[in-house]
Amino acid sequence: MIEAERLMLRYPTGKVALSGVSLRIEPGEFVYLTGESGAGKSSLLRLIYGGVRPTSGSMRVHGLDMRQVKETKVRELRRRIGIVFQDHKLLFSRTVFENVALPLRVQGWTTERLIPRVRKVLEYVGLADRLWAYPEALSGGEQQRVAIARAMTANPPLLLADEPTGNLDIDTARLVLDYLVGLNRQGTTVIMSTHDLHLLESHPARIVQLHAGALVGGAA
Amino acid sequence: MNRVPEQVRLRLPGGFHLPPFGIHQLLAAVIVCVALWTLGLGWLGLQAADQWVGSWQDEFTVHVYLDVNKASQRHALEQELQDIDGVASVSLIEPGSAARQMQTWIRDIGLDEQALAAHLPWTFELRLHPQEEHAFLYEDIRDAAHRHQAEVNESEMALASAQRWLDQIRLAAGFATLVLGLAMMLIISNALRMTLLARADEIHLMRLLGAREWFVRMPFILEGLVVGAGAGGVAWVLLWPMIALASDWLDNLGLGLHPWGMLFPLLIGGMVVGGLGAALATMNIMSGEQRLNTSA
Repeated sequence: MIEAERLMLRYPTGKVALSGVSLRIEPGEFVYLTGESGAGKSSLLRLIYGGVRPTSGSMRVHGLDMRQVKETKVRELRRRIGIVFQDHKLLFSRTVFENVALPLRVQGWTTERLIPRVRKVLEYVGLADRLWAYPEALSGGEQQRVAIARAMTANPPLLLADEPTGNLDIDTARLVLDYLVGLNRQGTTVIMSTHDLHLLESHPARIVQLHAGALVGGAA
Repeated sequence: MNRVPEQVRLRLPGGFHLPPFGIHQLLAAVIVCVALWTLGLGWLGLQAADQWVGSWQDEFTVHVYLDVNKASQRHALEQELQDIDGVASVSLIEPGSAARQMQTWIRDIGLDEQALAAHLPWTFELRLHPQEEHAFLYEDIRDAAHRHQAEVNESEMALASAQRWLDQIRLAAGFATLVLGLAMMLIISNALRMTLLARADEIHLMRLLGAREWFVRMPFILEGLVVGAGAGGVAWVLLWPMIALASDWLDNLGLGLHPWGMLFPLLIGGMVVGGLGAALATMNIMSGEQRLNTSA
């Protein structure tokens, strides 16, 4: 569960990214974070995975106070969170297998144990035949599916997706969203930032709307 | 089905997996190897010098020669030499005795012993205490000899003071080892720093995925150890050709070097500088978001 109370985030540059945000997200929910560019969507996601710390207010993720929590606890938390980045953050010098296996490697899985798991998640996103390919040989949509596979491979209870459909055409974007909805149906909490409003119609879910760092809808 | 194909070589980052070995690491290894080889040669040289000096320094003698025409001064000179601090004993060898000894050594050349004795000086054989420090021992011997217009065997004097020089050289070698060790550490650190920069995305991603710090840093620490140990091992192997080249010279001097004794110091030394260099390189690897949190 995620709880935020009068949350404020100011970057060292002085820019206020979030101000007075109060929010509650229950386990198993599918939540869209919407708003214009610079509204604070990515900053809120960063706060959730501990990439930045709140300047004031409170925020609890899986029971951890994100203002006070130690770095080691943040790392533990991240091992229970899958993250899909807008720019994929795939390692282009590594194969698809190595990219998807990375979260499991971080958790200490042996190579023999992680091979079937990686195969399974790549089958789920329809890329079982690209196991040993390098990401640069894949299309943008395929790269994003690899990123989703990497985020879900450790079977995290919470999945954060930062504009995963931002650079994709409408059909590929729907396909990517289908995977995320599928994961949510299996019990994973999914928080996805987007400004593709047409997706909200085809895949309806709770919408949390941000504007200039403040919450303007969907708080409860 | 669940096996990695034979033609695929898995390169999973982090933990006890070494990062790929690149040109920077190779260059660092070569430089560290040359530095360790130089140090190894230097310490082997000191080992040889120690053996050489040690072989005659336990019972070291210096000879002072008094011209046969100044024989009347021999007792005064003997007494003065005996009184010098650091001289254990003084033996006087008369010319006749010296001539007999020479006749014994150099047989069948038909020398007239008496004629030879007439040309030989009175010889004072001084036994010294080489282990004890006598700051002006050699100067005092020279002064006493010069007062009586006697001559000192300067070659023996130079050899007698060799231990002092060796001590100075050993100190200098220790200092050079320290400085070179520091330089090697910085070279390995710099090479690994470049690797770290090249792999910044991977490190950042591993942290985002929740990797523990040891998991992120361990490959680079291992790499530092491997580079250092590899350089030490190769440096040790390269000592052998040099010893082979100098073998005739060493045999003539009756010296036997022990390069096996350098294996452990070079390997461990290499690992220490490699490990310290890696620790220095990984001391402050911060991802972008860590910097934000630190400065916030």
